[in-house]
Amino acid sequence: MSEVIAILDRAAQGEAEAAEELLPLVYGELRKLAAARMENECDTSTLQPTALVHEAWLRLVGRDQQPWKNRAYFFAAAAEAMRRILIDRARRKQALKRGQRGPCLDFDRVDVAAEADEDSLLAVNDALEKLAAHDPQSAELVKLRFFIGLDYAEAAVTLGISERSAKRYWSYARAWLYRELKCAEWSR
Amino acid sequence: MNPAPTELAATAQRKTSTLLASFRSELRIEGSENNWLVNDDGGLNQSEYPARWILAEALAMRDPAERVLFLSQACGPNLALRREVEELIEADAEAGQFLPEQPGASVAQAALRGAAEALAPARGPAHTPIAEEPGSRIGRYKLLEKIGEGGCGVVYLAEQTEPLRRKVALKIIKLGMDTKVVVARFEAERQALALMDHPNIARVLDAGATETGRPYFVMELVQGRKITQYCDAHRVSIRQRLDLFMQVCRAVQHAHQKGIIHRDLKPSNILVNGNDDATVPKVIDFGIAKATEGRLTDDTVFTELHQFIGTPAYVSPEQADLGSVDIDTRSDIYSLGVLLYELLTGETPFDHQELVNMGLDMMRRPSGLGRRSVRLLGSARWRRRIS
Repeated sequence: MSEVIAILDRAAQGEAEAAEELLPLVYGELRKLAAARMENECDTSTLQPTALVHEAWLRLVGRDQQPWKNRAYFFAAAAEAMRRILIDRARRKQALKRGQRGPCLDFDRVDVAAEADEDSLLAVNDALEKLAAHDPQSAELVKLRFFIGLDYAEAAVTLGISERSAKRYWSYARAWLYRELKCAEWSR
Repeated sequence: MNPAPTELAATAQRKTSTLLASFRSELRIEGSENNWLVNDDGGLNQSEYPARWILAEALAMRDPAERVLFLSQACGPNLALRREVEELIEADAEAGQFLPEQPGASVAQAALRGAAEALAPARGPAHTPIAEEPGSRIGRYKLLEKIGEGGCGVVYLAEQTEPLRRKVALKIIKLGMDTKVVVARFEAERQALALMDHPNIARVLDAGATETGRPYFVMELVQGRKITQYCDAHRVSIRQRLDLFMQVCRAVQHAHQKGIIHRDLKPSNILVNGNDDATVPKVIDFGIAKATEGRLTDDTVFTELHQFIGTPAYVSPEQADLGSVDIDTRSDIYSLGVLLYELLTGETPFDHQELVNMGLDMMRRPSGLGRRSVRLLGSARWRRRIS
């Protein structure tokens, strides 16, 4: 437990390697918890990421209050872990389909996994990476809300910004991403 | 009498000035964020206000004239910024359902499921079912007291501890009701609720499963009195009652547009919280709501359970006809009609007891209605109540 706190402290102080070290630890814990949940019930639609990430936090860090930055890094790692898993799967599926041109990209249902096709998801991911290069705070907010499912208030506290700021980031990110996706779509 | 054009312009100007003033004070506190934009000639140009602040406010403005005025003043001579914001406004308008207000958790669920499948399932010790009761914790929520019960769920007042402290309403499947069918119904309700985003509808904040795998979801806690009681206690005028009613109608319209029928609209499901700023009615307990579109619903669930849903005085004739599942949004409209009647006269058009005694036929006879309302409107007691 204290190992993770130490890494978090280093990450909060700006050490880039610490953030990368955090990733497999958080991912490992999430995986274990998800597997345990699925073991108990057949219906996996009740698997809820927010709860799992919070549980992973409790198990890896404990109940003591942590500086908000530590928490922010933890959640960022969780969102990043989820993102990488998803993008990995999408890339593998896409590789299998190589040569077959899929239907038009449909971004409307990209937040509903069963209906999101891997091409759309990968396109959104590319756009998200571009956004991160231009405005990391907005991109981080999108990742927290999209890959973990935090609501505005929670995402705001996690990022250390006001709820009002969070809403502004979201409006901006959403419009920016959509515009980016349309540009990418035209040049396909 | 419509305000003259110059009056409107003056109001828009005032609003813009106030907004920009609040931006400046926010900037003083927060420090300037990344508000640099690349010009056409490749140079960097700092805008006075961050693009996303301007965008967020502009998006909230419905009046195009107001918006244009605001944009020209907020962007100033910075054409690149102006163009950027306008493009983003256009993108937002086109974006539709892309990244909605309440992103579904299913993307992350898929990721977790994939991750879990890679691991061989761990053989843990068998869990004995723990009864959830006040004081116990579920995830990051601490149950405080039971505040409601119905259908397949129990609602608790709970306290969220992280990342912030607040009170919420937590609905969990009743003990002994965790069959696949009921779980699916519960999940359908949660998904239907999550589709809605309206100031007059209680929001879904979170969802999860307990240690023993019982699903729960967390809603915005709505405190207040039921709308009829509120109006009587605060001696709300006719005009204000109508205003409250219209807010409720807008909420129901929002739900209907998402294909969701409430099915149990009645005063106890419409709570009003009056405080200094505003009197806001909120519709709660879409607990037996059913989504009419999409893959969320399972018709067989309802016909199997054969539950009579709704409260007699508020239930439309077609709903009361047991076994009928061909109910549409008009049933909600009927209930709204009854609510309007009660808000304006103090009583429902049909007395609960009479209905129970005499059955459906009475509802369909128009004459019963007229006598009652005329009698009530004329009564001195009612006039005193609303004055």
